[in-house]
Amino acid sequence: MANVILLDRISVMYPNKTVALSGVSLHITPKEFVTIVGESGAGKSTLTKLLIKEELPTSGKIVVGSIDYDTIDKANIPHLRRRIGVVFQDFKLLPNLTVFENVAFALEVSGVKTSEIKRAVPKILQLVGLAEKSANYPAELSGGEAQRVAIARALVRNPKILIADEPTGNLDPKNAWDIIELLIKINRFGTTVVLATHNKEIVNTLKRRVITLSRGRIVKDDKVGKYVL
Amino acid sequence: MITLWRIFKTGFRNLFRNAWLSAAATAIMVVTLVIVSFFAFSALLLNSQLNAIKDKINLTIFITDEAKLDDIKNLQAKLLADNNVLSVEYISKNDALNKLSNRSEKDKEIAKLASEVGNPLQASLEVKTKDPGKINQVVRIAKQPDYSKIVAETSYDEDRKKIVDRIVGFSGGVAKAGTVVSVAFLTISLLIIFNTIRMAIFTRREEIEIMQLVGATNWFIRGPFIVEGAMYGVIGATIAVLISFGLMSLAKPFMSSFLFSTSEVTQFFNSKIVLIVAGEFLLGIIIGATSSLLAISRHLKL
Repeated sequence: MANVILLDRISVMYPNKTVALSGVSLHITPKEFVTIVGESGAGKSTLTKLLIKEELPTSGKIVVGSIDYDTIDKANIPHLRRRIGVVFQDFKLLPNLTVFENVAFALEVSGVKTSEIKRAVPKILQLVGLAEKSANYPAELSGGEAQRVAIARALVRNPKILIADEPTGNLDPKNAWDIIELLIKINRFGTTVVLATHNKEIVNTLKRRVITLSRGRIVKDDKVGKYVL
Repeated sequence: MITLWRIFKTGFRNLFRNAWLSAAATAIMVVTLVIVSFFAFSALLLNSQLNAIKDKINLTIFITDEAKLDDIKNLQAKLLADNNVLSVEYISKNDALNKLSNRSEKDKEIAKLASEVGNPLQASLEVKTKDPGKINQVVRIAKQPDYSKIVAETSYDEDRKKIVDRIVGFSGGVAKAGTVVSVAFLTISLLIIFNTIRMAIFTRREEIEIMQLVGATNWFIRGPFIVEGAMYGVIGATIAVLISFGLMSLAKPFMSSFLFSTSEVTQFFNSKIVLIVAGEFLLGIIIGATSSLLAISRHLKL
C-alpha cells in the first residue's frame, strides 16, 4: 500500500445547511509531515474525521493508499481504522484500563498474538518515555503523559499514516512541544504525519508544509509554511 | 479463537473494575430472581397440591345388598366405556370390611363389631375420573332407571356435590390467577433489570466510541458487555439460590400450619430442586445477556 492520501473536491454539508468543507482537493505524498491550520470551525476536525470514516463527505472522493472510501463497506471500517493511527485532543483513553492495557487494546482488536503484544507494548512505551508508568490508570497521568499514551496506542500497529487532531490543545507549551518532537521522530521513521493545529508557535517552528483552511476552503498550501491568518 | 478468549477476559476484567456498577446490577438481578422463583415455586406447589386434591376426588357408587353380581359387572363395563373414566374398582361387602379393619387399630375394632352384626357395610364401585369437573356426567350413567335397583346412592349427592364443585372451581381460579401474577411480576422485573443494565452501559458510551475509533469490530465491543451481563446473571442466580434456600427453611414451619404437611412441601421442593436451580441460572444468564445485547446496540451505530 502506497500511503498516498488523496482528496478530490470534497464537500461536507450538515443537515442544518452548515458547510464544514467545500471543494477541498488535497494530495499528501508518503512520509510527508503536513500541518493543517485554521481557526476553530475552519474544518480541521472534519477533515481528520473524514480520513477515519467517522464522517462521510456529501460529495467528492477520498482515496488513501489503495483504499477507495466509497467502496469500503461498514464491516471493513474497523480494518481501515487499524491501518491509520489517530491521536485526539482529548486523548480518548479507556479509563478502566492501565497504560499498558490501553496500548495493548489496539493490538488485541487486530487479533495480534499475546506474546507479540507483550513484546511490542513495552517497546513502544519506551519510545514515548512512559515505560515506568505502564501499570498506571489514565486518571493518574498528566495531560502530556496521557497524550503520549495515545500516541503509543496509535503507533503500536505500525501505521503508515498518523493523524493528530489538535494533540496539543489541552497541554502546556512544554508538554506540547514534547508531543511535537515525538511526532517529528515518528515522521523520521517513515510515517506520514497529518497534524491539525491552531498553535501558531508550533507551526512556525516546524517549517514544514502548511495547509491553511478557512471556512471550509483551502486558502493556502505552502511547502514551507507559516501560520498566517 | 484468540478473539473469543479476549472477549471473555475483557468481560471479566470490566466486571471487577466497574465493581460498583456490577454490584448494583447484580443486586437488582438477585431481587428479580428471588421474586420470580418465589412465584414460580408457589405456583408449582399450589398446582401440585390442587392436583393431588383433585386426584382424591373420586366417585363412589354404593350398591344395594340385593344387587346381582352380573348387573354390577354390567354397570362397571358401562362406566368404563365413558371417556372421562379412568378406572372402576368393585369393592364387595367383604372387601369394604377388610379395608376398614386395615385402616387403623380403632377401625379394626369397629370392623370386628360390624362383622358380628352381619356386616352392614355396603358394596361399592370406586370410579376414578380424568376430569373431576365432569363427574356429574358419570353420575348420570349410574342414575339411569336401568340401574335404580342396584344403585343405592352416590358420593356425588347433595352437600358433597357443592364441595366437589367448589374445589374444582377454586383450583382453576388459582391456576389462572397464579399465571397472571407470575407473568406480571416477570414483566416488571425484566423492565427494571433491562433499565439498570441500559444505564450501566450508557455511563460507558464514551468507552464504546473510543473502542470504535481504535478499530474494534462491533462484536469485539459487544462481546465483553454480553459476558458481563451474563455474569450478573450467574452471580445473581448464585445469591438468589442461597436466599431461596434460606427462605425455604425459614418458611417450612409456617407452611405446615396452613395447608400442607411439611414433609410434602420438602419432598416437592427436593423433587424440583434441579429445575429451580437450573431455571434461576438460565433465566439470570438470559436476562443479563439479552439486556446487554439490546442496550448496547444503540451505541454501536457507525
